[in-house]
Amino acid sequence: MLLLLAAEAAEEAGEAASNPILPDMSEMVWGVLSFALLYALINYVLLPPILRARNDRAATIQADRDAAEAARARAVSASAEVDDQLSGVRAEAAELVDEARAEAEAERQRLVARAEREVNAMQEIADGEIEREREEAMVSLRPQVADLAADAASRVMGRSVDASAAGPAIDRVMNS
Amino acid sequence: MFGLEYPPIDNLVVWPDALFEGTILGFNKIALISLLAMLIPAAIFFFSKKDLVPRGLQNVAEGAVELVEKEVILPAIGPDGLRYLPLLLSVFLFVFFGNIFEVIPVFQMPANARMANPMFLALMVLVVFTFIGFKYNGAKFFTDIAWPPDVPVGLRPLVGFIELLSTFILRPFGLAVRLFANMLAGHILLVTFGVLCIAVASGWLFPLLALTFPMLVLLTGFEIFVSFLQAFVFALLTAVYIGLSLHPAH
Amino acid sequence: MSVLATIAAEAVELAQSELPAADQKGIAGAAGAGMAYGLAAIGPGIGIGYLVGQAVQAMARQPESAGTVRTNMFLGIAFTEALALIGFVVFILLKFA
Repeated sequence: MLLLLAAEAAEEAGEAASNPILPDMSEMVWGVLSFALLYALINYVLLPPILRARNDRAATIQADRDAAEAARARAVSASAEVDDQLSGVRAEAAELVDEARAEAEAERQRLVARAEREVNAMQEIADGEIEREREEAMVSLRPQVADLAADAASRVMGRSVDASAAGPAIDRVMNS
Repeated sequence: MFGLEYPPIDNLVVWPDALFEGTILGFNKIALISLLAMLIPAAIFFFSKKDLVPRGLQNVAEGAVELVEKEVILPAIGPDGLRYLPLLLSVFLFVFFGNIFEVIPVFQMPANARMANPMFLALMVLVVFTFIGFKYNGAKFFTDIAWPPDVPVGLRPLVGFIELLSTFILRPFGLAVRLFANMLAGHILLVTFGVLCIAVASGWLFPLLALTFPMLVLLTGFEIFVSFLQAFVFALLTAVYIGLSLHPAH
Repeated sequence: MSVLATIAAEAVELAQSELPAADQKGIAGAAGAGMAYGLAAIGPGIGIGYLVGQAVQAMARQPESAGTVRTNMFLGIAFTEALALIGFVVFILLKFA
């Protein structure tokens, strides 16, 4: 039917050879042959591999994306685990540190208390020694002081004063 | 003017037969371009590797497939039109490579500036969309085309006549004439400026070449665009007609 | 209108002149061809301009639907342009056939 139409048109073209509108029959035959061959080739030979390659690529991309997603999920869970462990360790460490600190504090207080005790004891000993030495010094100084005082008193009074007589007065002064 | 000798139109579009002269298989330049318009896309598809990562020719082939899928089939028919991909891809490639020879040196002639290929393709589209409509919608296809369901009975003969005329006569006519006239006009435009450049260059008016030659280059670029656009429009309209046959309700 | 009248007057003048019939037909065909294409280009010119303008406006307002708008714009251009192209075919027919 189509070819008949075309043939008619071509016959007309043959009559009016210079008409640029009407189709040329031989050109149309070659056009039909070329197009039919192109369609057959594309439909049966050329297009399926390309579509297959594209589907393969889409499948590969999807698989890679899924794998990446799975890996990401794994990484997230692993990092959460690590975080858990890390926070546990951190709490433990803080506990240990607190313990150690408390121990150290107790030790320090104990040491300080002992040192204070020792110091106090030593101070008491030293105080006693000083007192004793002072008393010793007093005792040892007393005759000389008495002599000096008697001497000084005799010079003041113009007569001799016996050291022993002045003894009580001297004791009073020195003990005051 | 300018001693311009414009060639008669037969010199522009009619080519003598080189083989089988005078028979129905007369092989001229248009037939050669038709053959090349089949061979080149076939070669591009055949020699493109089918690698996971596309490179070179594979990009071209897959780009054409993607273009027809995403820009032609999905908007015009919808997802159920993907089974017409081979047909629409063939139409697009055949028309495009028939057109692009307009700007390829030595050939300088679009195969579609002769009525043969556009007319054949348009008649094929007519057969295809009628066949698809009849296959999927039966006789209802013709009544749906003839009149929308709410047209009063008295008006139906008139509306039916106009609609059937528009569908079965004007659609293929428009398809064929659109492609043919666009390519013929582009060809004549390029020839006109080519002739003008030659005429101007040989005389004392040669400074005018500074105007005409850039224009020729510009128009060559424009014709490349037109070649692509007409192939795209032809495939798109084919898809639209198929879509209207598949779903006549809208 | 005056252009048409001028052409008609020229045609009458031609018919009365001494030129052979083929030449007369050629001259009348050439004049008619120019008219045919010129007139046929007016409507589609306005139509395509309006169509593309509206399409650009739609794309500017809703850039996310630019793809659909562009496809439909090309469809509309294809249908509108057909009228001008038929004028061009008539031009070729009158001039060369």
